[in-house]
Amino acid sequence: MTPMPFKHAQFAHCESGVMATLFSAYGFPLSEPMAFGLAHALSFVYLPFVKVNNLPLIAYRSLPKSIIKTLSKSLHVTMKTQTFKGEKEANEALKDLVKEGKIVGLQTSVYYLPYFPKDMRFHFNAHNLLVYGMEEENYRISDPVFEEAVVCSQEGLSKARFAKGVFAPKGFMYYPKNMPQEVDMHAILHKAIVKNAKAMLTPFPFAGVKGMQKLAQKILSLQTEENQRYVKNYLTHIVRMQEEIGTGGGGFRFVYAAFLQEAKGYGLNEMLLEEASALLVKSGSALREFALYCVEGSKKPQSLNTQKIATKLIEASTYEEKAFRLLKALE
Amino acid sequence: MIEIPHEKNETLEGMQKVMYAQNEQGTFERYNYGSSVEEFATQVAVEEYEILKKECLERIQKGEDSPIAFYMYENRMDLPTLASAVGMFQFRVKRHLKMRVFKRMSDALLQRYADAFSISLRELKEFH
Repeated sequence: MTPMPFKHAQFAHCESGVMATLFSAYGFPLSEPMAFGLAHALSFVYLPFVKVNNLPLIAYRSLPKSIIKTLSKSLHVTMKTQTFKGEKEANEALKDLVKEGKIVGLQTSVYYLPYFPKDMRFHFNAHNLLVYGMEEENYRISDPVFEEAVVCSQEGLSKARFAKGVFAPKGFMYYPKNMPQEVDMHAILHKAIVKNAKAMLTPFPFAGVKGMQKLAQKILSLQTEENQRYVKNYLTHIVRMQEEIGTGGGGFRFVYAAFLQEAKGYGLNEMLLEEASALLVKSGSALREFALYCVEGSKKPQSLNTQKIATKLIEASTYEEKAFRLLKALE
Repeated sequence: MIEIPHEKNETLEGMQKVMYAQNEQGTFERYNYGSSVEEFATQVAVEEYEILKKECLERIQKGEDSPIAFYMYENRMDLPTLASAVGMFQFRVKRHLKMRVFKRMSDALLQRYADAFSISLRELKEFH
């Protein structure tokens, strides 16, 4: 199976963007919101006991690789996936596929990609991109968060594919072996939406709507924290986890709102989808304001008002609770 | 309606990211945007490493920290990331961040750190 001539497009989030491009290129047109929603990838996780640079893990979407796995499973597509022991082997396999005219997805570390702006290069190991050709010894890359396609040296790309640490990619490479046939969109949309709703309404206190409330409590406790450098780093860390890693918390909510709107027209309750979509837009906007308040608070620690910041996050969580209660009962 | 910010964000070096928002018909589309909120958050993270480096240099002069600690921050790593990069346990790496221990380390061991930092063994040993 070979893809059509390649056209680069820019997306809000790397993994959903890569999957949308990959499926579309191999003959099954798919938008980014559809890829994201069908993989029930909207999430919220706050894990105070897992530290990244001494700050808690906060995520606004599902685990890395989950969109690749879940989406292909729900559409009954078999992905050819491979990891490698060494750079040489990984490069040979990649070159062979590119020569065949395949478009291939890769997991990489942002830190080692030479075309990334310097300030954006941190040790985040789950960045996804597509290789669609070669220019002598360099790779032609479609990075979903860049405006234009880029060229990357073999050396740079290899380093990025074999970065160590959390979510170490180990050269992870993937492409679809077949494309969906006769998809029952009504059924798979229903299943994906209800699943996402259940996950967001989980009783586990560090995830979903409850996780947002938990983080709000933690923010309140920063009011009496004397280490101002810690407060500044903590608040901007929340924003970075929200806005920088892929796309924003606000950003992900807007992607999901777009998905719910696109899901109309497949025989599901349209009024309900519309209402939930509007609520997610509200949540996304509230999260944007929340990020702004976090930044204000870390700029001016003397007038830090954690009540104001926490209340905004609670506001976003109430919109999401409403939206996902509606969606959980979707007929 | 979703507001699309058009502020400067120098950390992206002229690049713009995209977000979803509704057009006049209420359909979602992708739009380029720029956010000074994101810019500030990134700058704080970048500056934090600069501060850590500076503090580390002071401790190196006092003979407390080793050059490995400096290069850890220089490469924007924390202890778990570095430990994973060199394939050692965190408690072991933590010891190597001390000058006292660093001075007794073998070249072979130091080489593993030099590789992780993409520098030469000499650069690591003759640090000043």
